[in-house]
Amino acid sequence: MGNKTIATNTMKRRDFLKLTIAGLATTTVAATTMRNKASGPVGDSPHKWVMVIDQSKCNGCGHCIDACRAENDVAPDKAWTRVIAQEPLDGQDVYLPMPCMQCADAPCVDICPVGASTYRPDGIVMMDYDKCIGCRYCQLACPYDARSFNWKAFTGENPAVPDWGEPGVERRPRGVVEKCSFCYHRIDRGLAQGLMPGVDAAATPACVVACPPGARIFGDLNDPNSEVSKLVATDCAYQLREELGTEPSVYYLPATTEENLPCSENA
Amino acid sequence: MFRKRLSFLRDPFTWWIGFLILLLVIGLACAAVVFVQGLHVTNLTDLVPWGMWIGIDLSSIALAAGAFTISALVYLLRIKKLMPVAKTAVYLGLLGYTMAVLTLLLDIGRPDRFWHSMAYWNIHSPLWEVTMCVTLYLSVLALEVTPIVGGSDVVQSRWPRLGGHMVSVHKLAPILAVVGLCLSMLHQTSLGVTYGVLRGRYAWHRPTVAVLFIVSAVAAGPAMVVFASQVASRITSKAKIKPELLNIVAKYIGWVLVGYFFLRVWDLLYLSYSVGEVGGETWQYLTQGPLAINFWVGEMLIGIIIPMIILLIPKWRTNPRLQILATAMVVAGLILYRWDTNMLGQMVVYSYLPYDPAALFTSYLPSLIEIGAGLGVVAYGLLAFTIGVRYFRIIDHYEEAHEEHVLKPVSIPAMSGD
Repeated sequence: MGNKTIATNTMKRRDFLKLTIAGLATTTVAATTMRNKASGPVGDSPHKWVMVIDQSKCNGCGHCIDACRAENDVAPDKAWTRVIAQEPLDGQDVYLPMPCMQCADAPCVDICPVGASTYRPDGIVMMDYDKCIGCRYCQLACPYDARSFNWKAFTGENPAVPDWGEPGVERRPRGVVEKCSFCYHRIDRGLAQGLMPGVDAAATPACVVACPPGARIFGDLNDPNSEVSKLVATDCAYQLREELGTEPSVYYLPATTEENLPCSENA
Repeated sequence: MFRKRLSFLRDPFTWWIGFLILLLVIGLACAAVVFVQGLHVTNLTDLVPWGMWIGIDLSSIALAAGAFTISALVYLLRIKKLMPVAKTAVYLGLLGYTMAVLTLLLDIGRPDRFWHSMAYWNIHSPLWEVTMCVTLYLSVLALEVTPIVGGSDVVQSRWPRLGGHMVSVHKLAPILAVVGLCLSMLHQTSLGVTYGVLRGRYAWHRPTVAVLFIVSAVAAGPAMVVFASQVASRITSKAKIKPELLNIVAKYIGWVLVGYFFLRVWDLLYLSYSVGEVGGETWQYLTQGPLAINFWVGEMLIGIIIPMIILLIPKWRTNPRLQILATAMVVAGLILYRWDTNMLGQMVVYSYLPYDPAALFTSYLPSLIEIGAGLGVVAYGLLAFTIGVRYFRIIDHYEEAHEEHVLKPVSIPAMSGD
């Protein structure tokens, strides 16, 4: 160990520090100047779309699933909105219909490596099927299992689509993850025609329109007079796994027994 | 004459290579089925979207960590006598990362869009960070391996000029070591973060996974190097080891295991604070449930405690057989930990109801196609390692070929500010 070696050592260490600092600085600058450009600022829209699902009315018929398959050209072996049977309450069957929760703090948007999941200003979580690489990390991240992967190509006719109509969106290719979009295309088209989503059927998500007992209610949470605003304000409205802080846009009214009035009438 | 021509059949090397090529062909056939038919030929589901391939991917990246750890020992801590071991480590590193990239190409639904993570950035995603770092680090490893290939007799005897150019890349070694260290620290940790940020799944995917991933990789990467060097030197005369060099690395692994053991215990004790109200349930899944044997026997006993004891007692550490056993256990423990983190974490399906910790267990068994393609990737790794030992002399502790480039203090013009 000569003096020379020691001198070399110090120089190396200094260079190493310099490199590290330079690297850190670059990262910081990059992180602060770059924004997730694909995501618009949430809240820039006058609307905030939410869905309220009244479990006391849902009878598990599954019409919502079929309507969704027809509107969004979803394959017969998957469902963008699932209906899960729960423990019966006093002999009454209880169901949990689950579309995408359109979380305000969505784990899937944060973690997508290519930014294929983004927020719309009105709070809808969008999928860019042209960007998605099919890594399925979002499926792992979603606390509600709302996403389904296209394990195989969906070809041929969709049995859910009736003869007299056609789906409102394009079919997704094999190898990408897809999910419920709150029928954003119906909302946008309706608003352009001066219709009100949640009030006019043509501007409202297909599952809400098709629900026979009217268990799904859709509307604008930013409008204090909308039905959803009143329902969300009731004591009994709850969100799934709300302890995770994902702030879902789907609210639930619990199934109740006959002694209690349904929660929606207490409002 | 005829008998002489067939004499290669008596060489076990031929059979070994033949076996690996057979596995490789089966793997390629399975991969072709996956690319043509799509991922429905796997047993993956929407509930368990990441399976065996991700397990191979995580394990091979972690076991490649010897490259940056030993390079750091040589070029930053200046333990220059470990130079030949770093050569092995760097080569194994390149193998590990190429294996990982191969499994990822199999696993993503749209392999034709693999470049999207370079073109469309989401800087908030740990997986994006991992992809960028892995890609950059793959280039670093390729540069680090270039002089090894260029200096080999195979290249030197046929293309001496090209070989010379390739060897001269070695001058970059100290810079590459620094860059490699930064990139590796980033993405080995981020692989843990990838699971740590999954706030909906708290049992196996806790924020602490990030720390455990990097520390376990720092222990198991060099263990892989020691294990591979020891085993190869017993099989072929092409691999020449100096036991005293491997003993240094083995001692280092022993002490890293002490730190890793401490962090595992800390992680367990910290559970009740880190995941809030569900800490108790998490503790149960990990340590008492039907999956607990993986944790106690696989990760703790085989992965940490037994090898730690062997590697810390000088008499046992320097015994080649015990050293092979201990490093094999560290490697096995790391693979088990990565597989548990990935798979067991997905086996737990949580209730959707608010504040309801109840959970169900699902199951997953890879399909034959998945196993075939996975084995193909492993066979590629073993084949490349065999070729490396035989033709590139990646395990040769007596070689002094590129010493002169290292002994010279390397001046980096742009950096010398003093």
